[in-house]
Amino acid sequence: MTRLFCLAVAIAMAAPSIAHAQQPKSGGILKMYHRENPPSMSIHEEATYSVNVSSMPIFSNLVIYDQHKAQNSVETIVPELATSWQWSADGKALTFKLREGVKWHDGKPFTAADVKCTFEMLAGTSQNRFRKNPRKDWFVNVTDVTPKGDFEVTFNLSRPQPALLAMLASGYTPIYACHVTAAAQRTNPIGTGPFKFVELKQNESIKLVKNPDYWKKGLPYLDGIEYTILPNRSTAILGFVAGKFDITFPTEVSIPLLKDVKSQKADAVCVLEQTNVATNLIINRESAPFDNVDVRRAVALSLDRKSFVQIMFEGNSDLGGAMLPPPSGVWGMPPEELKTVIGYGDDVKKNRDEARKLMEKAGFGPNKRLALKVSTRNLAVYRDPAVILIDQLKDIYIDGELDVIESGIWFAKVARKEYQVGLNLTGAGIDDPDQTFYENFGCGSERNYTNYCNKDLQAQFDAQSQEKDVAKRKKLVWEIDKKLQEDVARPILYHARQGTCWAPYVKNVTIMSNSSYNGHRYEDVWMDK
Amino acid sequence: MAAIETIETPSRESRLATLGFYVRRYPLGAAGAVIVTLFVLMALFAPLITQFDPTLTDSRVSLAAPGGTHPLGADFMGRDMWSRIVYGARISLAVGVGSTGLGCLFGVTIGLTSGYFGGWYDLIVQRFMDMMQSLPLLVMALVMTAALGPSLSNTIIAISIPLVPTVARVIRSNTLMLREMPYVEAARAVGMNEFSIALRHVLPNTLAPLIVLATAQLGSTILVEAALSFLGLGVPEPHPSWGRMLSESAAEYVRVAPWLVIFPGAAISLAVFGTNLLGDALRDILDPRQRD
Amino acid sequence: MAAYLIRRFLLMLLTLFGISVLIFVLLRIVPGNIADILFSSAGMVNPADKAQIEKELGLDQPIALQYVQWIGGLLRGDLGYSYISEKPTWAEIAPRLPISAKLAGMALAFAILFGIPLGVISAVRQNTPLDYVLRVISLSGLSLPSFWLGLLILMLCVRYFGWLPIYTTPPATLWDELLLYSIPAAAVGFRSSALMMRLTRSSMLEVLRQDYIRTARAKGASYAKVNFVHALRNAVLPIVTIVGIEAAFLVGGLIVTETVFNIPGVARFLVEAIRQRDYPIVQNLVMFIAVTVVTINFLVDMAYLALDPRIAYEK
Repeated sequence: MTRLFCLAVAIAMAAPSIAHAQQPKSGGILKMYHRENPPSMSIHEEATYSVNVSSMPIFSNLVIYDQHKAQNSVETIVPELATSWQWSADGKALTFKLREGVKWHDGKPFTAADVKCTFEMLAGTSQNRFRKNPRKDWFVNVTDVTPKGDFEVTFNLSRPQPALLAMLASGYTPIYACHVTAAAQRTNPIGTGPFKFVELKQNESIKLVKNPDYWKKGLPYLDGIEYTILPNRSTAILGFVAGKFDITFPTEVSIPLLKDVKSQKADAVCVLEQTNVATNLIINRESAPFDNVDVRRAVALSLDRKSFVQIMFEGNSDLGGAMLPPPSGVWGMPPEELKTVIGYGDDVKKNRDEARKLMEKAGFGPNKRLALKVSTRNLAVYRDPAVILIDQLKDIYIDGELDVIESGIWFAKVARKEYQVGLNLTGAGIDDPDQTFYENFGCGSERNYTNYCNKDLQAQFDAQSQEKDVAKRKKLVWEIDKKLQEDVARPILYHARQGTCWAPYVKNVTIMSNSSYNGHRYEDVWMDK
Repeated sequence: MAAIETIETPSRESRLATLGFYVRRYPLGAAGAVIVTLFVLMALFAPLITQFDPTLTDSRVSLAAPGGTHPLGADFMGRDMWSRIVYGARISLAVGVGSTGLGCLFGVTIGLTSGYFGGWYDLIVQRFMDMMQSLPLLVMALVMTAALGPSLSNTIIAISIPLVPTVARVIRSNTLMLREMPYVEAARAVGMNEFSIALRHVLPNTLAPLIVLATAQLGSTILVEAALSFLGLGVPEPHPSWGRMLSESAAEYVRVAPWLVIFPGAAISLAVFGTNLLGDALRDILDPRQRD
Repeated sequence: MAAYLIRRFLLMLLTLFGISVLIFVLLRIVPGNIADILFSSAGMVNPADKAQIEKELGLDQPIALQYVQWIGGLLRGDLGYSYISEKPTWAEIAPRLPISAKLAGMALAFAILFGIPLGVISAVRQNTPLDYVLRVISLSGLSLPSFWLGLLILMLCVRYFGWLPIYTTPPATLWDELLLYSIPAAAVGFRSSALMMRLTRSSMLEVLRQDYIRTARAKGASYAKVNFVHALRNAVLPIVTIVGIEAAFLVGGLIVTETVFNIPGVARFLVEAIRQRDYPIVQNLVMFIAVTVVTINFLVDMAYLALDPRIAYEK
């Protein structure tokens, strides 16, 4: 913790808050490396921030999290294509006034009909169909979207859901045009954002150019953004150090590399932030021996989370439950609350003694060890913690073997329940309990890979979702989170913290502290060159 | 071939003398034999010469520099590099010997039968071999590992398949030549059946070129495994494969911890270098036609 | 002669047909198709939507029919559309070909420039310390993994020159291009030069033992002239062969080197496409590689015929 503090101080000192005092300069092309070839350019169809980083500058939302407030919350939501919004008294209707005179990149005018089209596409009721629709469930309570004239639109809900606004403010929820097909948005996106799409060369580069007709006058400052696709992290960092790039890919620089960058390029500005991606275990509770809750608990008790965080982040991360813990997270349990949760206590040895007792109760012991396959995706961020996990399980009579699954068929395999214990990464688009609970733990949700379903808890999900009072909602959320950990629904190992670095002349970059999906509009980023 | 036949049940002294002769005659080959033997010993006695389990993680020594209890340093997860290199010899050896052996087994069977029986069978088999040879080895292995999924045994299979045509070709041409030899004709004349002739008279005489070929391929199979693992296919974690050690997470720390990249690469190079030296010498000894 | 050529050509077609079937079937054995990949990237599993994608791409049809459609298209010059980029396959492959071709060409040039002269020297000075040193160098060329060599070069370049020779933007001038490709080409070419050196050495040794060389020497031709003119001319034949064989090996070397140096050539593209189950790209690229290799082998055979009248062409 003290190290975290030191680093935080160093970061705070380096952060160029003075930048705002300077007069921004226009011009220049921002060069960034991209961590992978994005699966497509269409934000709505994908679920990785590899897409958001390069597509968010092309689009606009109705509302957006303030791009210069690091911690996203309901209070930081600001208008974008909407000029104002109003909840109805019963909390079941949300009305937006829309901005006039906004043009799509192809010159056609933006109207309320486009908003309606976007949400029909998301609901799957439009002729203009998405090939994939990963966030359909976010808007499951929206019964319809009704335009009134060209510049007013109302979202009607089946039940009050204050978090709707949070979903709409995510980088994941841009407004699409009626006249552009879903297929075209994948390959040749058209938005209303500060930058226009030029080209995507597969595995090579993505080019965006300034939108001269952007509805915010005088913006963007940059003439364009060029992303070089460079999946090899070491070459990417070497490139940044050698000055080939102005900025690294956001929240992708690991801590050892961050230190390396600082030592090689002393003037580089670096920050270390939570990505709101939780590394967790999925346990197949349908097959022996994990149908036995004792064995599941033993696994949860055996985890030495501090050791994970020590290896993966040199101690620079926080322990938490399903919700991202404070100070970065808004909804997570505070440390004193967390300590009371099973397996989160400080005494690892005591926990493991208890775990061994549970294992013995289930019939295992030093002479009858459990042979286990730990399945994970063939990517370093998955494999590395899985290797540590296997090492830790040795202590409780479990001999784990890593079963590396080709990245592309990982979810298909998980869905078919062809695994015993899986190590998985779950990213939260927004720091909000509605998203996390329904998506990952809700009965029948497509992304609830373990099919964990607890009717009582489901009712509690609904209760917190309709609670307007933030303080009261927090208490409900903590209770749920605790119960989820006790049920060993999906033990959380850690929440990842990753670095971002940029050259000192790049100004106005803010990295979000509780989400890696929402901070990439880049409209007022400029370069002092 | 002549060389083998002259070594008849030698006494201990004469054996040493023969060894001495070869060492003087082929100094490079002897060096190769020493290197290969060292690697084999390393693989066999891995637990005796290492202090740590190669999969043991330890947060305190993450990316530790070489020296002290970790003579070659430690990787990101605090696993001892020396242990991983030593145990890695097992993987490389398993892949090298396994895939070469498997490739030779199929190659010999196909080469021998198609050379011996000829006709339609031969024609079809040869077209098949043509096909397999017109795809680069790594491309073939890539598609194969993708098809079979990453695991040690699948990697061995995937690498062995592209070897089959090379071996089959050599064995076939040898068999064609041997088939016309007087003693084979003689065996046929006394009414020995074709299968026994192929097995007893033809096969043993293809042994020399086979050994030469197999040693020559041993090094390249180790290299292909390294390349596959480097590309993220091949032998998966936590097996300490040298190629895997060079990929992704290790390469990421190439600047912070260069030893993570230098040592496994050096291990691969040295092992392959050793087998190549040995292979060259064996070729000179066993296959006089190719001697320079 | 004509009959032999026709026979060779027909066999070539047969081989290519076989490869097309092989790669087509192999790809479909590989677990997971494009629909799985697309859904996995979005972390979701929805059988109905997946079936929809498979239907749109024609993957629900019988394999035989899919094969006929592919080959039919290929013969008409229609390579289909990439599943990932949704652009014509040819538009994806075409701009990458010259990049890999240049890299391969430079690697080959490097191999010839170093391999042949050093091989000749090694043969002429057989069993001298120089010969041993050269042989060890050539063997180490065959032993170093080219990606490791590439990584080491990158490391050293950044450490000592503060310069990172990787591809980020297309080179502006021919000079930039040469500079950019020279280092990866050397990393790939090292292996080929080693092979070239070994082969040149052994065939030179063979030739040097021949009677006519002795005669030439006896007649008073200069030492250098004998070695380089008479001997090398005759040693050229096996070298032609190795160029043919190396063409296939180079592709393998290019795959890893393009990855290390981030060069957007076809070889790296192929690996990505295999990973993403982008069938149209993989199938057509593999066919392209096979056609290239088979054609080079054919040309090598022809060169053999032309260069060495001793080789009979009936078999």
